[in-house]
Amino acid sequence: MSHNKVLGIGLIGAIICMYLTYLNTLLGVQYFSFFGGIAAVFALWWGTDTIKHLCSYGLGTGVPSAGMIALGSGVIAMILATKVNTFGPLVIPVLCVVIAAILGAIIGYVANNIVNMNIPVMVVSIAELCIVGAVTVLGLTAMATGTFVFTDLIAGTATFFGIPVTNYAASYLGGGAIAVVFMLGAIAVQHAFNACLGPNESQDRTLMLAAECGFISMFCVSIMSVAFLSLSAVLVSFLVSLIGWVYTYKKYFVLSKRDAFMWLDAKPIREKEEA
Amino acid sequence: MEELLFGIGISAVAGALATVSGAAEDTESDIGSQGDPNSQVQLAPQMGYIHRIYSKAISGEPPAYGLWCTLGAGLAWALMAINYNPVLAIVLGSAIAVFVQGVYATTAYLGRTASLAKFEQPVYIDLIKSVTTVTMAHAFIAIFTCVSMCFLMVNALGHPFPLPLLGIVWGIALGAAGSATGNPFYGKERQYQSQKFGAGVPISASGNIVRYAEAGQRSSLDNGWFTSKMGGPASGVCFGLIVFLELWRTIFFESFAAGWGAVVAGIVLIIIFMIIDRMVEKWARKTYGPYTEEKEATA
Repeated sequence: MSHNKVLGIGLIGAIICMYLTYLNTLLGVQYFSFFGGIAAVFALWWGTDTIKHLCSYGLGTGVPSAGMIALGSGVIAMILATKVNTFGPLVIPVLCVVIAAILGAIIGYVANNIVNMNIPVMVVSIAELCIVGAVTVLGLTAMATGTFVFTDLIAGTATFFGIPVTNYAASYLGGGAIAVVFMLGAIAVQHAFNACLGPNESQDRTLMLAAECGFISMFCVSIMSVAFLSLSAVLVSFLVSLIGWVYTYKKYFVLSKRDAFMWLDAKPIREKEEA
Repeated sequence: MEELLFGIGISAVAGALATVSGAAEDTESDIGSQGDPNSQVQLAPQMGYIHRIYSKAISGEPPAYGLWCTLGAGLAWALMAINYNPVLAIVLGSAIAVFVQGVYATTAYLGRTASLAKFEQPVYIDLIKSVTTVTMAHAFIAIFTCVSMCFLMVNALGHPFPLPLLGIVWGIALGAAGSATGNPFYGKERQYQSQKFGAGVPISASGNIVRYAEAGQRSSLDNGWFTSKMGGPASGVCFGLIVFLELWRTIFFESFAAGWGAVVAGIVLIIIFMIIDRMVEKWARKTYGPYTEEKEATA
């Protein structure tokens, strides 16, 4: 699959899923939060291919750093996008992509021309990674809290003796829950390519692992969302991520078995003939 | 005075938890060959040395432990938000974080090994069954103690950061301490114990890691036994000292000069440690001779 096709599917899929979480607000329920996680899976799937594209220029140990810069810049773009409320909440996902693209292009320019890394695809790749990071954080945030509006992210309620009290420290941003989403995304976006690195790397296996990393991140966020959502909404998210994870994990084992030289169980070292 | 004593007591408990955490972390990463030793495990099949050693490449140790500890802390925080008992919340949070660690470990081993098919390295599926669970057990101890330590800092010492944010800070510090202190012991010594002592790792010996044990073939599980003797405790002492001294200087000197006393004490501590490091290095160079002569002798 060409990189542009992966980019197209990832970007469009992620944005559509982001908008589907808005059904929560329209219908006044919380069941559609899991679409945020699906958006993150699309973004991570696309980001893995971007990292592969960027790291084909000989960045072996730079793979984990690419994940860090993606989420590090993405989280800034995401928070800024949720804060802008002059155009209404429906603009936020698109605005998030636009801000991330601009920010990523600036960081890519600095890395390529001022730090002099001189990699031809640097500016475009960092811009893509920044969008991936921003959409991943936005998606998992929407999944954890059911919303992507800044004012809702800083409002939390804690219960004292059965009485709900507004408390900033119990909110998504104030409680530092975004740190979990940040780390989940940063490891998930780089893990697939980092793990499948090697002469026999194949795209379908790497991308299957990318989806698996996305679903396991969703799984964690679904459990964390007990702090913000009703139990039934949490259960829907949990089941969706569990089904997605089991499917992709099994599929990844099958693909690894296909690509492996041999698949041995409790066998001794098989020395090479000439060695 | 009582407040000070309480603070020092909590610092000591946090330091003790950190020591256990550091020791478990290094043992876990050596069993899984994560971090520094991983490059040689990875290289060995390419040089024709097929092996049965686990290869767990989940980025470096600091980001990986950053994730496990943040995840443990974040899930514990979320469970405490719905009024779970803190002990139960931390145990459950750490258990789910360890589950994620195990999943990442299996996919990393499968991915790297399957991608080496060209060099005829088979996937040993029994390794996944036997080694992953052992790394998970060690990781659970590391994560649980680290998150408990962060919980003490927030609730007993009144640290202004929320629990998940402390998880990210101390998780990365934990991974860095284990990676820098204990790993070279495995990566530079144990993998090359068949080479002449002190020879370093010449390029011709790259990838020629020890693959056979006293009896049979070396399993990554043996590394747990080996690391728990020296590399693990050394990492534990390193991380324990970092945590204890960090809290100790804050509690003792924060009242001086509107908080700047703690900053100055921190700088003084760093300078003292730099002097100690320099003295140890000079002693080692004097006792074991200059590096250059060794190189000429082997070449």
